[in-house]
Amino acid sequence: MERNLKEKEWTFFNSFQDVFSFFFLLGRKAKKTKVFYLLSFMPVAMALMVQFGQIFYSRNSLSGPYVFSNIIITFYLQFIILILALFFGTSVCSEELEGKTLSYLTTRPISKSSFILGKYAAYSLLMVLMTVVGVVLCFLILNFNQLGRFSLYKVLLKDTAVLVLGLLCYTALFTFIGTFIKRSIMFGLIFSFGWENVIQYFPGSTQRFAIVHYLKSLLPSPTSGRFSFLLFRLEPTPPVLAVVILLGITALFLGLACLVFSYKEYILEE
Amino acid sequence: MTIKQKGYTHWDGELKTTQYPWTPITKKGIKLAFKKKFFKFTFFLTLIPAIVFLVGIYISERLEDFAFLTQDVDAVSFLKISPKYFNSYFTNDFLLFMIVVILVFCGAGLISDDLRYNSLQLYFSRPIRKKDYFLGKASVIAFFLFILTLVPGVIFLLMKILFSGSMTFIWDYPWLIASVFGYSVFITVFFAFYTLFISSVNKNRRYVSVLIFGVYVFSDILYGILHGIFNSDYFSLISIKANLQQVGAAFFGQNYPHQVSWMLSFLILVLICVVAGYVLNKKVRGVEVAK
Amino acid sequence: MNPVIKTRKLSKWYGNILGLSDVTLKIEKGITGLLGPNGAGKSTFLKLLTGQIKANIGSVMINGEKVRNNHRIFSQIGFCPESDSFYEEMTGWEFVTGLLKLHHFSQADIEKRAAKALNIVDLEKAKDRRIKTYSRGMRQRIKFAQAIAHEPDVLILDEPLNGLDPLGRRKLIRLIKSYRDEGKTIIVSSHVLSEIEAMTNNIILIHQGKIFAQGDIHYIRDLIDTHPHMISVTCSDPRKIASRFVKEDYILNIDFTEKKDNFVVKTNNRDQFFNRLPSVFIEEKTEVQEITSPDDNLQAVFDYLIGE
Repeated sequence: MERNLKEKEWTFFNSFQDVFSFFFLLGRKAKKTKVFYLLSFMPVAMALMVQFGQIFYSRNSLSGPYVFSNIIITFYLQFIILILALFFGTSVCSEELEGKTLSYLTTRPISKSSFILGKYAAYSLLMVLMTVVGVVLCFLILNFNQLGRFSLYKVLLKDTAVLVLGLLCYTALFTFIGTFIKRSIMFGLIFSFGWENVIQYFPGSTQRFAIVHYLKSLLPSPTSGRFSFLLFRLEPTPPVLAVVILLGITALFLGLACLVFSYKEYILEE
Repeated sequence: MTIKQKGYTHWDGELKTTQYPWTPITKKGIKLAFKKKFFKFTFFLTLIPAIVFLVGIYISERLEDFAFLTQDVDAVSFLKISPKYFNSYFTNDFLLFMIVVILVFCGAGLISDDLRYNSLQLYFSRPIRKKDYFLGKASVIAFFLFILTLVPGVIFLLMKILFSGSMTFIWDYPWLIASVFGYSVFITVFFAFYTLFISSVNKNRRYVSVLIFGVYVFSDILYGILHGIFNSDYFSLISIKANLQQVGAAFFGQNYPHQVSWMLSFLILVLICVVAGYVLNKKVRGVEVAK
Repeated sequence: MNPVIKTRKLSKWYGNILGLSDVTLKIEKGITGLLGPNGAGKSTFLKLLTGQIKANIGSVMINGEKVRNNHRIFSQIGFCPESDSFYEEMTGWEFVTGLLKLHHFSQADIEKRAAKALNIVDLEKAKDRRIKTYSRGMRQRIKFAQAIAHEPDVLILDEPLNGLDPLGRRKLIRLIKSYRDEGKTIIVSSHVLSEIEAMTNNIILIHQGKIFAQGDIHYIRDLIDTHPHMISVTCSDPRKIASRFVKEDYILNIDFTEKKDNFVVKTNNRDQFFNRLPSVFIEEKTEVQEITSPDDNLQAVFDYLIGE
């Protein structure tokens, strides 16, 4: 059988694409992905409860758009995308080491960078799907009586874009950590729920050392109300600069992950 | 004897076993936890609340030497050693959070690693029963949690007696010893079931770690949000942390942090243990069945 | 003939543990058996050959190209790892086609090659089952299928016969030989002498991280055959059987053990002893229970060869 090189050139992009489709299939089939889908749909249940409470019991006075932007999105931002990025990001490399499947991949004619970037992209797409579907459902449920308002869709688009940006950025960071540290999950938990949670409330420039600071800088400031504490003491970075910094962090950590993965020696436990 | 006559035979001998066949499992689990990078440092961090509260007991007996503190009403109220002081220690957010972090370190791999390396059949090919296996694994968690709960609780009581030089404190609150023991055991049993249950869910320790941490944090965030929207304390029943604090207040005879019966919180935690026990019993078996 | 694989002063250590020491080799086309007891450094050597780990000293060249961080060379190499690890949620078909995809073949080509590889290893019927439901032998075969599916010129097989039943073993050995006939280069590791013997005459003996001998297996066989062998015989009347061998010049020693029905013979001609033994049993009408050769294993061979 002749090697069919004419149909597919051996480019970096082709390798990336092949790795992407391999791991997108693998990720889709994994039981863990289903559990994480369930987790990212929890806010949908929350949105349903809010609407039922409002319709049948008039138990709260908060408007749908307010709940969506100030509670649901913050919940996604400060919990769900962190958990998703932490697990899937560290999985990019750690999964292969723990499962001892790395040798199947490193003995293929694909560059190590295309492996990291392809798998990162596959898992990122899975997470984006999990998040976006949940967010859109929440939006529809919470605003079902005012779906004609065009301005609301702008909010949805912006909030979703911030979440996607957050996912990409955190996943890049955890991908790097996964290639670098053996017990990446512990470090990730401490970073996500320790560092990120604490440092964002520090005044002045200190809060700029947290990724969440730049994400919150892109969200509209909350009107005064019960949930304004979620953005307490935020001294926002200008939106364009925040986007540039987030993209820069993503590129930096992905680059570092590729570099480490290419040159680090991984000894699989026997 | 021809080969045809050979076959499997049941062993009819007498099963001789030590009184505590689970102890090697516990010892191994504790040793493995201490071998992990940063564990000792994290465990030390977890002991900080105990040290702070111990210093508080010392200061409470030497208030005249710490006159500057007496100007602060909150400090004076905090330093009045009573069951409330013990409740504050046992149910404070930081301690509970750090307990979960310790569980991630020492508990995530307890069963998931055995599932991953197919070592359950090795365990059960020795003279240990399922309950010995569970007891051995749970004792690893108990070891660390008792160091964070029971041991400081007892030390607080002893130090209070020593620093004050009298038994008045014990005569004033004779039931406090039982409370310290009772709540330490309760919280340990709950977290042992919780951790072992999640550890048995999957072979992947990273995934289990995320779940042990995520479920605890998620339940609390969910409570915070729903409470914020609906302004109802009944949502505290969703939160593991809130339920533990509620039961803690009942053990130490304090005002409940949430306007819900502590019995409901207690029942929910017990229900989690029952479900966990049922799932554990189903999941852990000597023979791997491929589906 | 030009060597396909060349290693020069290849050395690898893990901390202060020696994995491989100063290995300089030339491997030509055909089958080369890498033989050594557990922990000898076989897997380390194969991992160095496939660039999965980096050498502390020395170099590896395959077809004149360096291996580590040269991903393009892997279109010519097929690797079957020793560890029993898989993407368990995948079916056999998905596993093989997925990995073929990483070789940049077209979809039609991938399917054709995967079908062929699965057919070769007799897994076409089980191809749609998840790998986690496969038996040990099936897992071993699917691992082999992924190594051959892209039809590489160099096949590196780390203990490929582990876990296979005798039939599967024979079939795989035949298959490996057929690749040799196609002019490919195959390196097979094993700790079982007879397995390697069934595939090739060309062997590399590896022990404690060092290449101990390289060359024709008959040389090794001769050494094994002439070195004194211990053979344990368990039968109903050991003294009577033993007395029949006392006069034989190839018998060096006879020991009666604590067991009443057993004796141990030391011989420098194992074949002659084994030829004679059955007729003695028949003549003496003695029931035989067990004949074992406690030192007929690779470790014993190595111990003998290194003079321990």
